[in-house]
Amino acid sequence: MEWLKRNQITVGAGLVILVAAYVFYAVNSNVATSMFSGAWFFAVPLVLGALTGVVGERSGVVNIGIEGQMLVAAFAAFFSAAATGSLIVGVLVGMLAGIAMGAFLALTTVKGLMDQIIAGVVINIVATGLTSFFYRPGKVLSANMPQWEVPLLSKIPLIGDVFFQSGPIALFALVSVPVVHFALFRTRWGLRTRSIGEYPSAADTAGIDVIRMRLVNVTIGGIFAGAAGAYLSMEATGGFERGMTAGRGFLALAILIFGGWRPLRVFAAALFFGFTNALASQLQGVISIPQQFITLLPYLLTLIVLAVAAGRVRAPAAVGQPFVKGEGS
Amino acid sequence: MRSHVKLSAVVATGLVAALAGCGGTSGPATGSGGGTNTAASGDCSSAEVFCVGLVTDVGKVDDKGFNQAAWEGVEQVKGELGAQTKYVETTDPKDYAKNIKQFTDAKYDVIVTVGFLMADATRAAGKQYPNTKFIGFDQFQADPVVPNVTGLIFHEDQAGYAAGFLAGSMTKSNKIGVVLGQEIPPTQAYAAGYENGAKAANPAVSVSKVYHPAGNTAFNDPVWGAGEAKKMLAQGADFIFGAGGGTGNGALQETAKTSGAGDKVFCIGVDLDQWDTLPAAHPCLITSAEKHEKDGIGELLKQIKGNTVKPGNFFGTAGISPFHDFDSKVPADVKTKVADVVKKLEDGSLATGYKP
Repeated sequence: MEWLKRNQITVGAGLVILVAAYVFYAVNSNVATSMFSGAWFFAVPLVLGALTGVVGERSGVVNIGIEGQMLVAAFAAFFSAAATGSLIVGVLVGMLAGIAMGAFLALTTVKGLMDQIIAGVVINIVATGLTSFFYRPGKVLSANMPQWEVPLLSKIPLIGDVFFQSGPIALFALVSVPVVHFALFRTRWGLRTRSIGEYPSAADTAGIDVIRMRLVNVTIGGIFAGAAGAYLSMEATGGFERGMTAGRGFLALAILIFGGWRPLRVFAAALFFGFTNALASQLQGVISIPQQFITLLPYLLTLIVLAVAAGRVRAPAAVGQPFVKGEGS
Repeated sequence: MRSHVKLSAVVATGLVAALAGCGGTSGPATGSGGGTNTAASGDCSSAEVFCVGLVTDVGKVDDKGFNQAAWEGVEQVKGELGAQTKYVETTDPKDYAKNIKQFTDAKYDVIVTVGFLMADATRAAGKQYPNTKFIGFDQFQADPVVPNVTGLIFHEDQAGYAAGFLAGSMTKSNKIGVVLGQEIPPTQAYAAGYENGAKAANPAVSVSKVYHPAGNTAFNDPVWGAGEAKKMLAQGADFIFGAGGGTGNGALQETAKTSGAGDKVFCIGVDLDQWDTLPAAHPCLITSAEKHEKDGIGELLKQIKGNTVKPGNFFGTAGISPFHDFDSKVPADVKTKVADVVKKLEDGSLATGYKP
């Protein structure tokens, strides 16, 4: 009850959207399902990328290298899957590539005290260069990623079709959101993570090893960007193309802020963005105004929502500041 | 701590340096395809040595699209013309002029620039270097023409029309779709031709089309293309035409993964015979709306060598690619009708209804 009272606006808005979605579904189930599916299809890499950002920034490390992490992972996942003929190997290698890139960011910024923005830029540039250089055309996956149907849940009208009949990485994203949310706000690890992102010297005084924790979190957080990369090259399409992330890593950063550094809100924000995107392409050719105006829609709506509802988001206080033991902050 | 700062700085610098070393954009003409005559690398400024340089649009010469087709066209006639060839790959639209200048500085005889977006840079270079011949691939030359610049143009609308006619003749759901890159004249022509061709074959057909919203990634966003194709298929389309570089390839790959691909659901490639370039689309790729780009480039280079080239626009031919494995799935009467349409488009007795 207490929780309901505090979150009445969020819950109310959520209910209104849910009812609207089902009204739409009742009017034209085919178009509604395809549009919401399109929204989730578009949102999966944004959610995963933003989760990497959540884990890193909650620990106090800005990560603008998500784009590069995703790109390297997409590359590594596709080519290892094509070479070994095993999809599982591909996905795992993709995740490991994300972790490796995360480790690079962690070592240079947390251990080496390099500027976090510069380290992120380095990751993006290196990723573009390496993946373009080593790219070889003409490789094909031995099989398509499977489509999984979650028992029972996939039978729910609309929601089941959209979320519970999808590939393994999309389902991984769906599970990761509540897991990371719970871990961040309900576990000891989460409390410590938030404390080293807000006030590291206090956390240090309380006996938390800030350096080690940041190293581990930023490294492990790369698993989500890695999964996002594998999603792009293996699940969403069937091949790697140069620069195929097409700015999704940066979009994930925007989603991270839009979602206030909270996994559940990040999920909602990504879905919202995905839906406006699906709406814009659906309206192209239906409404006879130049498509450039229609394609402004996602950005315009995001701007409005940011200005009206999300104006109060606050970044973790110590984000971007390197921690040096004994020097305070 | 100090040493850590230095260490990370060194690591970062090292990485960037390594990157600069391997990520260079210009590459020598590695003999891909038929380029057997590797003429001794002579000095391009001498009259005897015929040098052809190619500047790609943002993308690589192995992009499975028009950059690759243009380069293969150059390589195809290299032996016959005794030409010395080289390409520069553009990575940023800001570098168009700079990349063209690499060839003008080296006194190349012919410079091929690929893509509609390089039209302005090509015309500017043409005015600046009146003794060099330019071929502007996909670049329509409006009046006043630059005397040493020839635009190599294809009737995309004709290729699109033929593809649309096929789709319109074969669709069972009366719904077909097209996923495009950025909205620029070539993609508009493909879309209009496709739509009109489909309606000519089957007035009941409805065509959904979508252009990529962003500018800089519009031709290189396969994930977006896949998402749009997925949406169209879910809404009942049974033909997907992917016309937009990597973005279109994403749409083709998604169609290839759909259940019923190759039986009930088909896809159509673009620009060149994508059967040869995009194996991932084989399950659904019934044909491609093809511009005969290689032949067009070769023909123009021969004209330049023989000094018969004219400024303005040179029109290459366009049509559809062979059906390959789908040959048995296309009904005989449809084949005859489509072949007839292609013929009529070529001799000008049939208009596509596209107004540039």
